[in-house]
Amino acid sequence: MALFSPIPTALSTLSSKCSLSTKPLFTLPNRRNLSLFVTRSSADKGEGMVGSAAVEEKVEKKKESPSPDLEEKKLEEEEKEESPLDSNGAAVKVEIPKFQDPRWVGGTWDLKQFEKGDKIDWDAVIDAEARRRKWLEDYPEASSNEEPIIFDTSIIPWWAWIKRFHLPEAERLNGRAAMIGFFMAYLVDSLTGLGLVDQMGNFFCKTLLFIAVVWVLLIRDNEDIEKLRKILDETTFYDKQWQATWQDDTSSDSKK
Amino acid sequence: MAAHLHLSSPFSTGLPLKSPRRPRRIPSRSSLPAPVSARSVGRPLRAAIIGGGPAGSSAAEALAAAGVETYLIERSLAGSKPCGGAIPLCMLDEFSIPAHLVDRRVTSMRILSPSNLAVDFGRTLRPGEHIPMLRREVLDAFLRSRAQSRGAHLLPGLFTSLEPPSSLSSGEPYLIHYTSSPAPGALAGTPSTLAIDVVVGADGANSRVARSISAGTYSSAIAFQERIRLPPEKMAHYEDLAEMYVGSDVSPDFYGWVFPKCDHVAVGTGTVMSKTEIKKYQAGIRARAWSKIAGGEVIKVEAHPIPEHPRPRRVVGRVALVGDAAGYVTKCSGEGIYFAAKSGRMCGEAIARIWNDNSKDVVTEEDLKREYLRKWDREYLWMFRFLDLLQRVFYGSNAAKEALVELCGDEYVQRMTFESYLYKRMAVGDWRKDLGLVWRTVGSLAKAGIMGKEVERLRTLAEC
Repeated sequence: MALFSPIPTALSTLSSKCSLSTKPLFTLPNRRNLSLFVTRSSADKGEGMVGSAAVEEKVEKKKESPSPDLEEKKLEEEEKEESPLDSNGAAVKVEIPKFQDPRWVGGTWDLKQFEKGDKIDWDAVIDAEARRRKWLEDYPEASSNEEPIIFDTSIIPWWAWIKRFHLPEAERLNGRAAMIGFFMAYLVDSLTGLGLVDQMGNFFCKTLLFIAVVWVLLIRDNEDIEKLRKILDETTFYDKQWQATWQDDTSSDSKK
Repeated sequence: MAAHLHLSSPFSTGLPLKSPRRPRRIPSRSSLPAPVSARSVGRPLRAAIIGGGPAGSSAAEALAAAGVETYLIERSLAGSKPCGGAIPLCMLDEFSIPAHLVDRRVTSMRILSPSNLAVDFGRTLRPGEHIPMLRREVLDAFLRSRAQSRGAHLLPGLFTSLEPPSSLSSGEPYLIHYTSSPAPGALAGTPSTLAIDVVVGADGANSRVARSISAGTYSSAIAFQERIRLPPEKMAHYEDLAEMYVGSDVSPDFYGWVFPKCDHVAVGTGTVMSKTEIKKYQAGIRARAWSKIAGGEVIKVEAHPIPEHPRPRRVVGRVALVGDAAGYVTKCSGEGIYFAAKSGRMCGEAIARIWNDNSKDVVTEEDLKREYLRKWDREYLWMFRFLDLLQRVFYGSNAAKEALVELCGDEYVQRMTFESYLYKRMAVGDWRKDLGLVWRTVGSLAKAGIMGKEVERLRTLAEC
């Protein structure tokens, strides 16, 4: 059907028109821009191209349109992506760069190429996979039945993850805890006269210690406090929406 | 006797209305002492259902079967709804849907991660288990005609407005204003009015009934879909296979799909947070499935809103909302047909039960809330909550989506998922396997999270 074939041509005319008219639009008052906006968008109404209108707006001052950069980028991406999608099956190819790496063979990483001596260098595997995922985020690829992706991260042994990611952080946290612990023990001793052994015998001190350990486990950066609060809000938000219908019970009703 | 009289008057001034737990045997509980209408208790209840989709038709069927005078108002009898068309297996039994209405029996669902890792869901299906795919126009027409055969009166027309009675505690009826569809040859329909005791709003996501009772709004996702007719050799790939694509190129907070229908596939995607970019996501899903749908012809383009959560007020006065109008769509999977039909039926049965049990002359808001809403929430709220949790955890980022697909490779996950989806009941599993599953979930999420952070780190390095 003819639904998609006009789009690439419409888009290319729009973007060329925009680049030509950037200068004059800055000097024109808003109303004039709006009328241009209206005529352009009505021409595309059939396709529902919100992006076309937004490109006009982007040319004006940023604060007047909500997210101009996104709209512009979306338009460009659509141009790139729309072209293979000529629905009549006409051969219109777009150049999406495919992920290439000599170690990526047949839909999975060839572990033999990662060997260092007689052991596999798992850190390099993790790095390679991270690079591949970043590439795919920027240039998503079509899935295909002929070249299925087989690689799955469970190939990487658990200790490789721990050694690389958990241990350094654990070391840092333990170091901080030890320094703070030493200082607090000294402080409490100087204030109350209780030595370390006596401090541990006290219930209040034990509670403080417990709170400190839990705090360190959950909150490692300043952002974590906000994150935890947001998670708590989110978990109860959906529930609140469901219970909204019952709120009326307690408040109103007798007037009926 | 005098004491009894003294006692009965405070009871009948409406105090018990506040607490639904009072025993129902107290007489004159619902209204003022003097009878307000000349109707006798024996006359049938009049009910109107606005909207003749699965929710409306099920409600109409339940009400008509119980002897209620039922009117079903539907504005477009031949319309085809934009919809995935998948129903759980239990719906075939529960709603006695004949096998010849099913276009396809999907036995395998393939989920593809952002890096195109594909996992086939369905290895654990027992013989005979499948996901039936139907065309909505076929299903809706069947359910409507069955409601009619039970005694519901089908009124083709467009609902325009609802006039509540001046006081809800009296037995006065609601007035439904609608424009009946023009007769063949006529240009315009005739505005008509119905006097109705109970109204069921089943008119979908943009419900007019909900607006007229100020039920409140909900946030909604937009689902956008193109129906593409494929050449036969490509259609063969989708013989009994449906595909789900996750990734931020396809949708930031939902998934894209390729679902087979009778002789074409439906390729679509949806989103809540970036509705203006839906075309970009549609382009994304087409690119991802490109090798499998190239050469196809687009025969239809459709879009519809999907409610994200229930409306703040689902029962107001003697009007109850069901189905999409109430907002009964699960998160994560976006499933709504079964819940629409089930809520319609539950509401219809509740109304019939209220009417028959007490032989009062009016159905109250408390009755509806107790018999319909509370039962509904008790039975299905856990499922909605769980799917909301899944969506929040696994649809948040590309990394989480990769973890989701990896987890789906596990047989236990597949079996539990299908059990709960196909039969709509809490799947009872082995507690040891459950623990193992929790462990695997934590592990996968941790690994995927680490991968995500690595990707971010590479990105910031590249940008510097």
